[in-house]
Amino acid sequence: MTAEAQQMIEHVLSLIRKPGLTIDENTPLVSSGLIDSMALVDLLLKLEDLTRMRIPPGKVQPKHMDTVALMFATAQRVGKPRK
Amino acid sequence: MTGSVTQFRNLIDALAAAPGDRPFVTAWIDEDERETVSFAEFRERARSQAKVLREHGVNAGDRVIILMPQSISAMTTFIAAMMLGAVPTFLAYPNFKVEASKYRSGLAGVTANLEAKVVVIDEQFPDDMLGHVSLSEGTLVLRAVDNPGSPADDEPSHLEIPAESLAFIQHSAGTTGLQKGVALTHTAVLRQLEHLAHALKIDGAADRIYSWLPLYHDMGLIACFMLPMVCHMPVVMQSPLDWVMHPETMLQVISEYRCTLAWMPNFAFQFVPRRTPRSHWTRYDLSSARALINCSEPVRSSSMLEFHNAFSAIGLKNGVLQSSYAMAENVFAVTQSDIDRPEGPARIWADAQRFRSTHQIVPVAKDTPGALSFTSSGRVLPGNEIQIGSDSGTGISLAPGHVGEILIRGDSLFTGYYNRPDLTAHAIIDGWYHTGDLGFFLEDELYVIGRKKDLLIVGGENLYPQDIEEIVASHPAIHDGRSVAIGVYNPDLGTEDIVVVAEVERQELLANAQNIEREIRNQIVEGLGIAVRMIFLKPPKWIVKSTAGKAARPATREKLFKEHPDFNLESSNLDS
Repeated sequence: MTAEAQQMIEHVLSLIRKPGLTIDENTPLVSSGLIDSMALVDLLLKLEDLTRMRIPPGKVQPKHMDTVALMFATAQRVGKPRK
Repeated sequence: MTGSVTQFRNLIDALAAAPGDRPFVTAWIDEDERETVSFAEFRERARSQAKVLREHGVNAGDRVIILMPQSISAMTTFIAAMMLGAVPTFLAYPNFKVEASKYRSGLAGVTANLEAKVVVIDEQFPDDMLGHVSLSEGTLVLRAVDNPGSPADDEPSHLEIPAESLAFIQHSAGTTGLQKGVALTHTAVLRQLEHLAHALKIDGAADRIYSWLPLYHDMGLIACFMLPMVCHMPVVMQSPLDWVMHPETMLQVISEYRCTLAWMPNFAFQFVPRRTPRSHWTRYDLSSARALINCSEPVRSSSMLEFHNAFSAIGLKNGVLQSSYAMAENVFAVTQSDIDRPEGPARIWADAQRFRSTHQIVPVAKDTPGALSFTSSGRVLPGNEIQIGSDSGTGISLAPGHVGEILIRGDSLFTGYYNRPDLTAHAIIDGWYHTGDLGFFLEDELYVIGRKKDLLIVGGENLYPQDIEEIVASHPAIHDGRSVAIGVYNPDLGTEDIVVVAEVERQELLANAQNIEREIRNQIVEGLGIAVRMIFLKPPKWIVKSTAGKAARPATREKLFKEHPDFNLESSNLDS
């Protein structure tokens, strides 16, 4: 796992704030109800930070953010260099 | 705007009268992608779609369900159906979290109740959501009516649409289980728009709306689609999903397009400043905005203040943040705050003790310790009346400053829930619609404080607790009928969180609480597409029952707060 993915996992855990919960790169977050749609913006902003990319809205659906692995794949697919 | 909205016989006539070269809808996807259609182009597309619908047998009076992502195409399809005298309705597009079979059964229920002739879906609509299930007998599924190649047929627009015929159906809640279709006539919609345009001093040539609101919700459909269509005013729209993932885009779109009007539920007034990096704020300019209206959740002054304090440095003027009380059953607005008042909606402070003990508002000075603050939703629109009902049901409106159920009557009120005379009889009594909301009048302004009925409002969307409880109860470890879903205000989000309390069948099951909780959480997501904040599993007989033996939500809620004081749950919908 990359250092960025590990940082994202820690970020997700800090958002969920459930003692004892562990997640990995492939844990479903949105489709399991651990994260609601209003928390997606926090994940996108973090993803933009970690990848140093701009991720345009309109190209990303919640399903593209369901796991940490998917988030980085999504950034690769639709991310653009920062202006 | 020149002239009156009610000069038009129906909504299609109003669209036909719009100047063809004026931009109507801009669909904003992102910085690099957007599409604008003029009124003429919009009419043209709708006419061509009307032709396709007619070829598939859609006639006047037929119900047409539109299940498409937020798009210009969804809007033109809606109007296409109306051009034929048919009765369209938008339903929420399937959420990927919802399990296909559950989505289908919910959809089947709605199409059956509407006896829909056609369901229109987009090309990307997931196959497994429709599968092999026949929706209801005689319902046809049409994929992508968009047919730009087909020459438009002028004929449908010449169709005579009676003013008293149904224009469309609005659904009042997001979940499908208890969907109630609010049936509205052209006349009722035009009257509402007339009152609204007047109260907001709309100028179609100068105003421009910004919207991220879903079209299946009254704010999205009436304020941000029908109002601009009838007042010949441009609207810049983005999808709710795109907005919720990038709330900053609201600032970007208003700045770029110089938008003047927008509606949002209360939580958005906190969500935008909190989720837009502070270093980005100065990129934007909100000086074009003349009214940003807080609507569809109880209005909290703390949320309004947060938005104002964040953005007054980038052009947001005093008095731009306003409020309104609206519901699908009245087409849309019942009240609107006075948009000329530079200090925004009226705000009062009241004695907390008197409020809690006698449900009475006794105004106190602003800085009184422990005083409760209430923000007005404004004055009653012309053609509308409000009564504050007493529990004794005497039919006499309570005096100003007394809290009771809000009852409304007016010239844009719905005539009933489609095909549901049983629900209608409960809702409209002696001509008054019983809203289930609690509020009071003071100095001719309405203050809405919460709900009498057990409705949850999350991010401006209505949810029925029964839908959630039914799913919880289906878990084998949970005692049937012994679960309660409640809404708990989350001050960080400015909206409600959903909290579930459920009794396990046997005490020893609590040892496995973590797994049961996870399974219930998954089932709620699969069934309804929503995430609950907390699930409390309790031993048998924990939940408070009513005299009828049913789980009593308010009493259970109180017990929960008492047992979990650390879970800082504010039990009322009030700012303090």
